[in-house]
Amino acid sequence: MLCQHCQQREAVMRLSIIENEQTREVYLCESCAKKNQEVNFVFHPAIVPEFLQALFGFNSKSIEQPSEKTCPKCGISFTQITQAGKLGCSNCYETFENQLEPLLRRVHGGGQNVGKIPARRGVAIKNRLELRTLKETLQTLIQQEAFEEAAIVRDQIHQIEQVKGGEANDS
Amino acid sequence: MTRKELLLQRSAWMNEPNSPVVISSRVRLARNLEGFPFPHLISSEGAAQVEQTISQVLSTGIEPLEYISLTELTNIEQQVLIEKHLISPSLSGTTGARGVALAPDHRYSVMVNEEDHIRIQVLLPGNQLQETYRLATELDDHLEAKLDFAYREGHGYLTACPTNVGTGLRASVMVHLPGLVITKQVQQVLGAVTRLGLAVRGLYGEGSQAFGHMFQVSNQITLGKSEEDILSHLDAVTRQIVEHELQARELLRKQMPMLLEDKVWRARGTLQNARLLSSEDSMHLLSHDRLGTDMGLLPKIKDCFATLIIDTRPGCLQYILDRELDPSQRDEERARLIRERTTL
Repeated sequence: MLCQHCQQREAVMRLSIIENEQTREVYLCESCAKKNQEVNFVFHPAIVPEFLQALFGFNSKSIEQPSEKTCPKCGISFTQITQAGKLGCSNCYETFENQLEPLLRRVHGGGQNVGKIPARRGVAIKNRLELRTLKETLQTLIQQEAFEEAAIVRDQIHQIEQVKGGEANDS
Repeated sequence: MTRKELLLQRSAWMNEPNSPVVISSRVRLARNLEGFPFPHLISSEGAAQVEQTISQVLSTGIEPLEYISLTELTNIEQQVLIEKHLISPSLSGTTGARGVALAPDHRYSVMVNEEDHIRIQVLLPGNQLQETYRLATELDDHLEAKLDFAYREGHGYLTACPTNVGTGLRASVMVHLPGLVITKQVQQVLGAVTRLGLAVRGLYGEGSQAFGHMFQVSNQITLGKSEEDILSHLDAVTRQIVEHELQARELLRKQMPMLLEDKVWRARGTLQNARLLSSEDSMHLLSHDRLGTDMGLLPKIKDCFATLIIDTRPGCLQYILDRELDPSQRDEERARLIRERTTL
């Protein structure tokens, strides 16, 4: 979006001006925002859809093709995501993982989620990770013909899988 | 409690804060249900199903919340909720199945089908970020026990907008900074804050000095940091802002005591005697009055600052008086209400 004042530079700030109980919004470039007499405080660039579009648009040029991939769950394409500034459904994170990666890095500075894990879903995630490790161990032990130890690991795997199955039946 | 009583209830955050600078603390958690498109793409049947599922769970918690569908509310009622920070303007601005669940004292307000299926919000007075998050995560746990939230290893909680993905946590404090504004240091201090990965906005997301010298400071990053890190970073920066504000106030007291006294007494005099007060004027004067009270220069008035600021906003004022008012009538009624409530 272009600066509404100079119409030349890219707008980087959204400013709200309150007059007679009415709020009007002005999109300005940094230079005009600084010059503007109405503004005595420069706000941090607002993360609003317009700016997100700019963020998305940054690497969307190469994907505007007729045969563009769409999300199998909600049917949205990456171009449509770019226009809306929003993803269509939770599955889009998987479908468009590669396209989203640079955007997430720009917004959040990179890194994986280290926050809260949902209690119920978290158990499944933890179990999945544990199962993967145990199955790898089992393969190694079988190759080494360490059958007694392999049997212990196999029982552990069964135990986790039974709990998982039980949970699935409960729900 | 009737609908009107619930909406007119003084919101928990509007009570007298435990801090002279931090007016309120807020935490918001964004969550979505697995298997449904996000609200901007969902069908009307899907939105109704999401609304029904979530509202049922919300009404059965440890602290049952009252769910209000937005389609049942008048424009004024919606405006009251916006002015009290209990819903966002965008929830009011869209159509379809959507609403808000409120606790009797408004400490919880949960928006359904806003940008995400669920937006848990907790708002408390003063500097109480940790407690605010504790309440939010408690309600989140209750919901998660019964609902499947969209979550992915690596990405965390999945949200419609990628700026919220990960923790889905937006924590903010509302600070009252008249000292920094009067001493012309606010730009410098808040400018530094924005370089620390935090965002600064005015009272209603927009902002200016005219809006009661109030600013909201919030985290920007939601992915790659834990909730504890996000909260402790904001808390540390908030303490710095408070320190600077208190220093600015002391500077005013030392270097221009008479000017300061004149400013605050003039505000009190106008508030207690004016016959017409615009929204902006009243906020500015109430801010100076609050500064004077905090610094021990003015005797305390009967009502508290945040309540007066919010109750004299156009929507709340009309709702309290139970009639529609044009702008000039509002100025008259606002002045009357403030005169009544600024008695000692």
